[in-house]
Order: sequence, then C-alpha cells, then structure tokens
Amino acid sequence: MALSLPNDPGWRLPHWPGWSRLPREGRDTLFLLGVIAWTVLPHLSHLPAWCIALTTVVLAWRAALAVGNGALPSRWLLVVVLAVAAGLTYWSFRTLLGKEPGVTMAVVLMALKTLELRARRDAFVVFFLGFFLVLTHFLYSQSLLVAAAMLVSVWGLLTALVLSHMPVGQPSLKQAARLAGRTALLGAPIMLLLFLLFPRIGPLWGVPQDGLSSTGLSDRMRMGTVAEIALDDRIALRIRFNGQSPPPEALYFRGPVLSRFDGTEWRTLIPSFPPRLQPQAELRVTGVPLSYEMTLEPLRLPALPLLEASPGTPQIEGLRVRGTADLQWLIDRPVLERLRFRAEAHLRFQHGPLQTVLGLQDYVDLPPGFNPRTLAWAAELRRDPALARAGARELAQHLMKHIREGGFSYTLAPGEYGRNAIDEFWFDRKEGFCEHFAAAFVVLMRALDVPARVVTGYQGADLLPVDGFYIVRQSAAHAWAEYWQAGVGWVRADPTAAVAPDRISRSLRLLPAPGLVAGALDAMSPALLQQWRDAWEGINNRWNQWVLNYSRGQQFDVLKELGFESPNWQDLAKLLVISLSTLALAGAAWAWWDRHRVDPWMRQREALLRTLRRLGVPAAAQDAPGTLARRVRERHGAAGEALAALLDTLQAQRYGRQARRHPDTALTRSFAAAARGLSPAPDR
Amino acid sequence: MTAATAAPPRRRAWPGVAQLVRERFRRWWQGRLPRSDTVLLTQRNVYILPTPAGLMFAATLMVLLLASINYQLNLGYLLTFLLAGSGLVSMHVTHNTLRALTLRLRAPAPVFAGEPALLEAVLTSPGTARYGIGIKLFDADTSTLTWIDVPAQGQASAHVGFVPAQRGLHELPTLSIETRFPLGLFRAWAIWRPGSQLLVYPAPEQPAAPLPTARALPGGALRGRATDGGEVEGVRAYRRGDPLKLVYWKKAAKSLASGGELVSRDTASAVQQQLWLDWQACATLAPEERLSRLAAWVVAAQRAGAAYGLALPGQSIAPGEGESHRRECLEALALWH
Repeated sequence: MALSLPNDPGWRLPHWPGWSRLPREGRDTLFLLGVIAWTVLPHLSHLPAWCIALTTVVLAWRAALAVGNGALPSRWLLVVVLAVAAGLTYWSFRTLLGKEPGVTMAVVLMALKTLELRARRDAFVVFFLGFFLVLTHFLYSQSLLVAAAMLVSVWGLLTALVLSHMPVGQPSLKQAARLAGRTALLGAPIMLLLFLLFPRIGPLWGVPQDGLSSTGLSDRMRMGTVAEIALDDRIALRIRFNGQSPPPEALYFRGPVLSRFDGTEWRTLIPSFPPRLQPQAELRVTGVPLSYEMTLEPLRLPALPLLEASPGTPQIEGLRVRGTADLQWLIDRPVLERLRFRAEAHLRFQHGPLQTVLGLQDYVDLPPGFNPRTLAWAAELRRDPALARAGARELAQHLMKHIREGGFSYTLAPGEYGRNAIDEFWFDRKEGFCEHFAAAFVVLMRALDVPARVVTGYQGADLLPVDGFYIVRQSAAHAWAEYWQAGVGWVRADPTAAVAPDRISRSLRLLPAPGLVAGALDAMSPALLQQWRDAWEGINNRWNQWVLNYSRGQQFDVLKELGFESPNWQDLAKLLVISLSTLALAGAAWAWWDRHRVDPWMRQREALLRTLRRLGVPAAAQDAPGTLARRVRERHGAAGEALAALLDTLQAQRYGRQARRHPDTALTRSFAAAARGLSPAPDR
Repeated sequence: MTAATAAPPRRRAWPGVAQLVRERFRRWWQGRLPRSDTVLLTQRNVYILPTPAGLMFAATLMVLLLASINYQLNLGYLLTFLLAGSGLVSMHVTHNTLRALTLRLRAPAPVFAGEPALLEAVLTSPGTARYGIGIKLFDADTSTLTWIDVPAQGQASAHVGFVPAQRGLHELPTLSIETRFPLGLFRAWAIWRPGSQLLVYPAPEQPAAPLPTARALPGGALRGRATDGGEVEGVRAYRRGDPLKLVYWKKAAKSLASGGELVSRDTASAVQQQLWLDWQACATLAPEERLSRLAAWVVAAQRAGAAYGLALPGQSIAPGEGESHRRECLEALALWH
C-alpha cells in the first residue's frame, strides 16, 4: 500500500510554517480538527482507552497531513480501521447497541471521516456528526459547564461551516466566527420561541436506560446498598418552604416503605389479606400545613419522596400520582426528568389504624430459619418480668436504650454481612449504618410480636439554604423504622438517632474518610470552599429551574400567564404556529420594505440636486458636492457662501478622512434653510 | 417551480420525456427574462431552495429532536432549536447575499471563434459586504463558478469566460449567479440574460495559408527601368512619401539642375504594391473555410504591416492599414452571409 503511515521510517514531521503562513486549506482543516477535539474531549471519561488512543492518533495524523499538505490515505485503509474499531467496540461492551457503544462508534466515525475530507459532502457529514456528538454529551450531563463547553463546540462548528462557504481569499477566523455568531444570535429568538412552546411529549418509544440501578433510592434494601448512595454527594432534591423553615432534623422525606423481609432483602409488601382487612392510611394531622416547593432530580423510581406527612395529592402535569395505605406517593412511571411541584405537609401527624386489624399480621411476619440468636434474644426479653406486659412503646424504648448503651457504633464501612446478618450485627460486630439499625430494630419488634416496618427515604438537608432552597443530597438517604401501637397508630422510630444523634439532629452527612488531597483542600479553607460551592450551586439551581426543569407544567404556566384559562397542548401548538407565521410574515414584510428603500445618501443627494437646480445651478447626478460648491460660488457669489460651505462639509462627510456611515439629516435641513435665502436667478 | 429552470440537466444518459419537458420549460422560462446589461437583484428575480446539504441538515435536526424527546433532554431541545433557528436565519442571510446587488456587464471585446471571450461582470453592493458569490454560465457545470466577495458599499468584478463556436453577432450567453453563504444549507441564485451582443470573427485558418502575391498598384505612376535612359537601374521620379534615403542624390542634383525633379531609387520593396485578399482566390474551399482563410490572411497581413483590401462577393473594402481597418475587415468577415 502506497501510504505514508506515521511509523514509516520515511515519514518525518512536517515543517511548521507558523499559523499566519499556513495555506488557507491547512489552516481551516486545523481549525476544524481543533473543534472536533474540543467536542470529543468531555467524553474522555466514558470512552474505552483504545478509542481515545485511536482518535488521538487519527486527529494528530490528519493535522500533520494538513500542515505538510500530504495526500489523504486510501478509502480501503479507513474501511479496515472502521471494521477493527467496530470489533473493538463489541469487545469492550459486548454489544453494538446502546448509549456507550453508540458514543464510541460516533467518535471513531467522526475521527475517521476527517481523513476523508474530499468533497463538500464529506465536510457536511463531519459537521452533522459533530452536532450529533454534541447531543450525546447531554445523555451524561446537562450541567451548566457542559452546556457552556458545548456552546463553544457549536459555535466552532458553525464557524468552520461559514469558513467553508467563503471561498475567496483568506478570510480570518475571527471574521468567520463573527458571522457564525451573528447567525446563531439572530436564530436565538427562534430557539427561545420553540423551546418555550414546542409541545413536550413523553418518550416515543422505550429506550434502554443505562444506569437505572446506579443512583437513588431503590424499592428494595439489602445490607450494603444504602451505603453506596450514602457516599454519593449528588443532589437528590431541593426544597423551599413558604414561610418558616422547619429544623433539618424534622425533615423526613418518605420514600419506599419496605415491609416484606425474606431473610436477606427487604421489599414492598404484597398483602396477604383482602383490602378491607388491611390497615388504611388514616392520616390525622394537626396544626397549620407547611407549604413547600420541591425540585426533584430524576430518581428513576416510581415514587415521590414527599415530606412527611403530605396529606394532599400534589398536582404534577403529565404524571398520575397515587397515595397508598402506607403513605407512599406512587407515580405511574419512573421519573426520568427533573420535576418541580408544590405540596403541603404537616410535620405533626398520626397515621394508621387505631385498633387492631387483621392486615397488621403481615407486619409481624419473619422468615423462618434466619437470625435464630436474635429471635431467642427477643423471646428472652419477653420473659423479663419487667417487660412481660409492656406495650409497643415500652419495648421500642427498651430496644433504643439497648442500642444506645450496648456498644453499637455508626460507620459507613461496616463490611460484608453473612446469611444471618441481624444476628451478626446485634451480637458480634455492632457496627453499621441506618439500614442495619432500622432492619435490626424492625426484626426485633416483630420478634416481640409488634407490627413494624422499614421506611426508606431522605432525612435532613444541607444546613444553609441556597437561593431559599435547601439541598438534599443522595448522601442524605436514610432508613428508619415504624412500629404500630394500639390507640396511636404507626409511630416513627429512628434507631440511628440513638447511636449517632448528630446524623439526625444536625443533619451532617457522614462523610467517608477523606482522601489526602481533598482533606488538604478542606483544611486550607473550608469556609471559602463552602462559599464557592454554595454560590456555584445557586447558579446551578437557577439553571435547573429555568432550563432543565422546563417541562409541560411550566409550558402551561407560561400559557396561563398569556391568558389561556385551561391550556392544553393544542393551544401550545396553535400559539407556536401563529408565532412562527407572524415571524415569517414579518420577515417578508421587512424584505418588501427593504426593496422599496432608497439608499439614504441617494435620498439626500436627490433633495440637494433639486434645490440646486431650482437655484439655477447646473447639477448633474455625477457631480461631487465639492464641484457643486464651486458652481454655487460662481453663480451666487458671497450670497451663496453659506450654501457652498454646507456642500463642502458634505464633501468631507462623504469622502473625507472621517467619512460618515449615514447622512447627516441636520445638514439636509440647514441646506434647505440656506437655500431659502437665495433667489433662483441672481444675475437676471 | 423554479427548480426546473435552475437544475442543470444531469441525466443526459436518459433523454426521456421528462428531460424534453424540462428543456422546453427552461427555454420558455429563460425567454421570459428580459435581456439587460444592468440588473438589480430583488425579491422578484432571486430564487432560493435548500441544497442537498440543507435536506441532510433537516434530517439531522429530526434525529436530534427525536433523541431529545426520547431521552427527555432539555439541553437537546435547546441544541436542536438553536440549530433550527440558525438554519432559518441562514436562509435569510443567503437570500440577502444576492438581494439588492446590482450587476453590470462591461461590453466584451470581439474575439475569434474558438477563442475564449471574457465577460466582465461588475457587482455593486449598496450596503453590507457580500461573501461567497459565484458566477458562471448558466449551462456550465458548478465547478466552473468564479467566486468573488463584494466589499461593503463597493464593487467587485468577476470574469466569466466562454468559447463562442461560430462567427457572427451573438447574443451573450445566459449567466447564473449564486451563493450558498453562510452555512451552505440554501442556494440562492439569479439568472441573468445580458443585453449586449458579442461580435465573433471567423476562426483564423490553422495553419495559415501563405498570403497571396501582391499586385502592383493599379493605375499608379510607375516608371520602368529603361525609361530613364537605362543608366541607372531602378530609378524613378520622386513620389511624395518616399523616405529621404531612397532619394538618389547624385542623379537628383543633375535632374534638378536640368529643371527636372527629385529622383528616387526604384527598389523592389519600395514599390507600392497592393494586397487583395480575395474571396475568389480561395475558390476551392467551402464558404466558411474561405472566411477562415481570409481572416487568417487579414491577421497575417496586419502583422506584416502591409496595406490590404478585402474583396467579398457583393462587398469590398478598399485597401488600407491600421487597427480600425483590420476591425472593419474582420467585422465584414464575421457578418458576411
């Protein structure tokens, strides 16, 4: 193959002539390669190593070819490399479908296509692949930073596109960038209009949701899973209270309630009794409701973690929200977008049946053959005369006391637990986090014949609000317990509070041991860091509220502001079509007006010539103002001096060193005034 | 509707009915356009349609929109709509690049058939600078576009060459002027039928036949060798215009003394001979070939500095010299029929 590969012995680095001395084509290609590299750059963390290496080599090779004005490789080589890349992609991901393999292949295609920039069509393929690559970044992150980086990418791609349509001479990059920026800026109102009014619809077909299991709460709990999200510092939700904010320790966001225990895993209950025998929600609230606004990140969970206890169903456009008997708020599909809604909560409440119902039997169920020592310990406790006749409340208090004084400690890294995890935790290791404490508490209460269940959700918030919003992070994920007491209903018990009261009352997220660098940074100036972080999160929050969170509900809010009483999506479409038609008509009207517009210089000139002819001065269209001034002086002498001076001024304005861009209307007026003082024929 | 007029016929391999109809329509459409050397491009005569790249762009936007809907990406929506807005604006920019331009044609100089004629079009922008304007013969391929930029409130000129095949007075070919600036998603174009005519001389014969032999000036005062007593070979009476070095001073002195006149040497070159480029002289050739030969002779005679006349059936141009004479002869050849 007659190719010059980078590792050929005959191949040398091309001589770099300097940026300004590069030939036009080489410079444009280097610029395009730079834009492509910038566009690919944020993907580095998701790409396999071979893909990064291949892309780097290909782009560098192409750059060398552009500088040295070398010949492009044959198409066959590219086909071979592409086939190898497809094979490697399959080898890396075991599939060619899905997000990660798709992005990998898109990056490879983009890089290889730069080696095939022959015709105009090839260039367009690169541009459009580039736009597509920009979009793929949003699958990973839609943060402000990514948006800014991608805005630069789009600008760069548009600049390269403009550059390729300026075939004359060597237009500067700055000029092309300005023209591209102007085009995009003029397009921004259309973008805004479409963004505001384009009807938001749900996914058209199911897409494989990578990472569905990677974040957030889950509808099941196994020892260790909550630890994973406790390490996750991402934001789960933001909440803003209208009026007085309650203390963070009072904030329990109720997520999935897990009542079925099979020995290793906790899940939601499948009731074994008909509905009328099951315990009902029976929420009894007191006091003034606390109104709040919540922005919920995509939790990919078919439930809303509302503040306990929210009596009314929150209205969320496009979602059906349903309350359950155990006070969960379920929705009809996992939420994949950010939600914003208002709701009300009562922090003082009671719930659950006051009298025994048969359905409570489900809540004392324990799997046989697990945790024998715990069961024996419970039976022993029952035999204690002091507790023989104790109610649920006393038993719970006794367990809390045992946890507080029994040498238990709170840690995020308790290690793996075996088959009889509760036994191991309760008697041997005595260390764990919320999940261990809650699970052990519930198992013991059940062993003592008290109906109990595990509730998961979030607890607490960052201490200081940003823009009025309290931030609840994934690391605030929590598990607590509820037991049933006759005459009261379900009572919340948070055994973690017994061992790590800080975890609850001060809502400090328990951080894992910090790494060396992070620790040093924190030690340097924790206050400053916190300040920066708060400011950044404030900006980010606004970004989320106004850009990322903009969904159908917000669209309808906009319509309501515009005077639609009960907006629906037809109104939205109608408004969009009307707006776009108006815009198009306005464009056409402007073009029509523009056609009939006379150059202002011409208009001024016509007026002057008319006046001069009336004064008997021969004035033709091609005469310069200076010539006319001379003729005025010849014909009118001193009387015409004012007029002639004005013509001289005009000459300077039009052709002088500091020529004006637009004619001076004041001059036109004073010219008319000066002409009025003259008689048409002085020498007759 | 205008697409049919614009798209150059691509599928010559299949000259079907569609091709015929398209050709007819094109001719009809072009015939409607007034011929003029100065054209102001307005809404009325600038056409615009998306390019294949524009359609590809639209398809890309659809893909981006679908991805945004399916993955519920608000930033994806923003990207899609930003590109859509830019595309829409680019349509106006493309149209504006041509609109309000004034096209003026500089009258082309006559050429020989088979030689390229250069048309110079001067583009004047009344307002902003215009970039990436291409101009070509309407029938020519896109690759023959001549690209120019027009500065703000200024003018620029572009040359378009074409090779006229036949002699005669020709209408100038239709020109098309187009742009894809700034994003290449739309192509705006205008069709221009210049009003000037181009005079095309017959193609000179290659290789040129030797010039016919000159004849002596008919009726000119010529003295033979023997007329002056046979003493000096080639002496004749002085004629106005003879250079001084030709004057045979010895003889002239004698002659003057005897009340005669100045005497000049009678050399061969000094004999005023007349070259007639005659239609009849190339009787063996077909008419057009005769014209070609005559044209070649005119060029050769002019180069040799001889005086020559042109004799065509029913028309003859008296012998003469100089550029205007040459032009007169060639014009007669060009227009003869």
